[in-house]
Amino acid sequence: MTAVDDVDLTILPGEFYGLLGQNGAGKTTTIKTIVGLLRPDAGSVGIGEWDTWTHPTEVKSRIGVLPEEFNLYERLTGAELLDFTAAMHGLSRDEAASRRDELLELLDLTSAGSKLIGDYSRGMRKKVALGAAIIHRPPVLFLDEPFEGVDAVSARLIRNLLQQAATGGTTVVFSSHEMHLVEKLCTRIGIMVEGKLTIEETPAGLCTLTGKDNVEDAFIAAVGGDKVDGTSWYDSSSS
Amino acid sequence: MVRLFVELKARLTWNGVRNDVQRRFGFPIAILLLTWLAVWLAGKHLDLTSHLESNSEALGHYLGWVALFMFLVWVTLPVIIFPLDENLDPQQLSTLPISSTQLVTGLTAASLVAPATLIPVILMSVNGWVLIEGWWMVVPASVVFMGLLSVGSQLFSASISAILRTRRGRDIATFLILGLAAASFFIYRSVASTVSQLGFEEAALSAPILDWALLIPPVAAQRAIVEASDGNVAMALVMLAAATLWLGALAWLWRALLGWMLTTPPEGSRPAGRARRNGMATGAWGVIPTLARKELRFYVRDPRQRLVWTGTVIFVGLAVAGTIMGATGVFDLRDNEWAPLVAPILVLFVGLPIALNLFGWERNAASYLFVLPAKPSQLLMGKNIAVSIGLFIESIVLALALSLFTGFWQWTWMVVPLVVAAIGSQLAVGNMVSVLTPLRLPREGTDVFAQSTEQGCLAIVMQVVSFFAIGLLLVPPASVVVLTVDFGQAVPSWFAVVFSILYGVILYAVSLFVASRLLKRRLPEVMAWVQVV
Repeated sequence: MTAVDDVDLTILPGEFYGLLGQNGAGKTTTIKTIVGLLRPDAGSVGIGEWDTWTHPTEVKSRIGVLPEEFNLYERLTGAELLDFTAAMHGLSRDEAASRRDELLELLDLTSAGSKLIGDYSRGMRKKVALGAAIIHRPPVLFLDEPFEGVDAVSARLIRNLLQQAATGGTTVVFSSHEMHLVEKLCTRIGIMVEGKLTIEETPAGLCTLTGKDNVEDAFIAAVGGDKVDGTSWYDSSSS
Repeated sequence: MVRLFVELKARLTWNGVRNDVQRRFGFPIAILLLTWLAVWLAGKHLDLTSHLESNSEALGHYLGWVALFMFLVWVTLPVIIFPLDENLDPQQLSTLPISSTQLVTGLTAASLVAPATLIPVILMSVNGWVLIEGWWMVVPASVVFMGLLSVGSQLFSASISAILRTRRGRDIATFLILGLAAASFFIYRSVASTVSQLGFEEAALSAPILDWALLIPPVAAQRAIVEASDGNVAMALVMLAAATLWLGALAWLWRALLGWMLTTPPEGSRPAGRARRNGMATGAWGVIPTLARKELRFYVRDPRQRLVWTGTVIFVGLAVAGTIMGATGVFDLRDNEWAPLVAPILVLFVGLPIALNLFGWERNAASYLFVLPAKPSQLLMGKNIAVSIGLFIESIVLALALSLFTGFWQWTWMVVPLVVAAIGSQLAVGNMVSVLTPLRLPREGTDVFAQSTEQGCLAIVMQVVSFFAIGLLLVPPASVVVLTVDFGQAVPSWFAVVFSILYGVILYAVSLFVASRLLKRRLPEVMAWVQVV
């Protein structure tokens, strides 16, 4: 089975790039391939001048990744995870401790920082994972569904952090189903359908292309989702 | 409803075999190994019963003991050694519109859809053959006995899982399981010495377990068949009724426990200690040391890894204690001044599930680890340092214990270079196996011990092969050390020290070089193998 096929994607420094698509469209596979967790059968991927498969360490030292699933170390505390990640990225001990404390406070995790991640709620895990993704101040951030399953306050916090990162020159690539956030944050959008990158546009350009007045409607039209009907049996008259 | 559970288990097993490479290879291995084991045990059983044919009373008691041992082994083995099979997760079935009685009945029936069921089926067939005069009772009593095995096993496993959900659970469970291991050893010692003193027949008569059948469920089921074969119809029916009542009682307990587990969240972790408040920023720093420290934390915090380190060493300690006491008869260490040098043999037994599966324990977190900018050699070295620390401490402690017990201290210092060679050998094999055949570990859910038989068999096969490989690699340094401490001390001790250390270091370095390159190429494959889906 081919999950992603013939994708030609170039993201420029400082862009806030939204990778959109229905479930199973190939967004996560694309991100995993770029960061070196999946090997492409053909073609090449890389960050800047570095190819992901010939220089994996150089690539990984320049990226921060927020995974879709919560594949964190459940038996480390939040503080330990941040320290561990900082050490793996070569930060000095003092720098790591300083950034860790600041991040825990910013993410409202100071009191939870000494608890095991296994005891964290979904939103807390998302926040500590985001902290670990940015603790080494990477020039490129990959975020797979950063707003999924988080409360409004946490979503605002994450959004502000990402905007701050983008303002500082960080390239942000993220996949999301939260179309209002995509519309607000992204400078460019790529839409994937069945493993192929079918459209690349600015939010405004996408609306113009599809003749819709917001990104959500434009996206649904672009992937053909406006043709979906209900069931023949699940309505009030048949119960 | 029971049929639906059985069909679900069969479908899950079949889908697993069809879609999972580990299971595709493991399933036929599991069938072959389990069939061989069952036939071997059946042969032993028939051989022993033939010695008691002339004394039906002794035969009855012996068969009662066999039923009890089989029950205890079946119930505890999945927790102590490795799981016999993967059971349906009650959590996933808890929202279905079924009663808890239906849930327990369905889970019991479904648990028997497994390769491991071959063993009790074959053994009970042989048991029925031995007691063929009671043919009319063989089937109902065997069905009850199978029910006792299934319910007892899942009740025990659920109990340990329930204990692990509590804040102090990891400590309690560890001590409980170590207690079971120690008890097993002393029961073995007691049985072995009774049989050697009294002979097989007298030993069976000296422990008339059938008299206690009403209080011991599996013995009650067995006695039902024994009484039937003796023509005591009424007593056979009473025993069958007793075993059935016991089955109901155990099922009720299990149902109550499941009800509690499904409606009560696990306790949170302990309040933060000073070490946790400080994160990892105090202590050794850098990619390799930090990774090693992370591993060491998991040796303590992950219940299964903790059991690997504490449980196995107790087993080996007991075995060595048995050797010292002359119980095993392999060789008598008491009068040998090189007795402490046996300690490094520990590496052949301890830590193998971790050393041979360095990335399997990462489970889904492998995808987190592998996006960090650590070189493959750094990943391996960090994990190797942690394993080495565990092995080194346990080997030295055992060597000191042996010196203390035997009173021989002359060669105790020689343990250090020998341990280096032994650890080098284990890591050399472990790194290659970890990269080439990582083993997927089960998701930690309602049953932390859940693992399919096929994967368990693959793990055992891998461990046995690696065990011999490590043993072979240890031959050169062990030979040099033997020539140093014995045989007229033909080799000077400085040579043994230098040789052992260089041997271990070179072996490890070569393995690290090769395994690092393999890991760099196979990183996506390793991650895909260890991730739980």
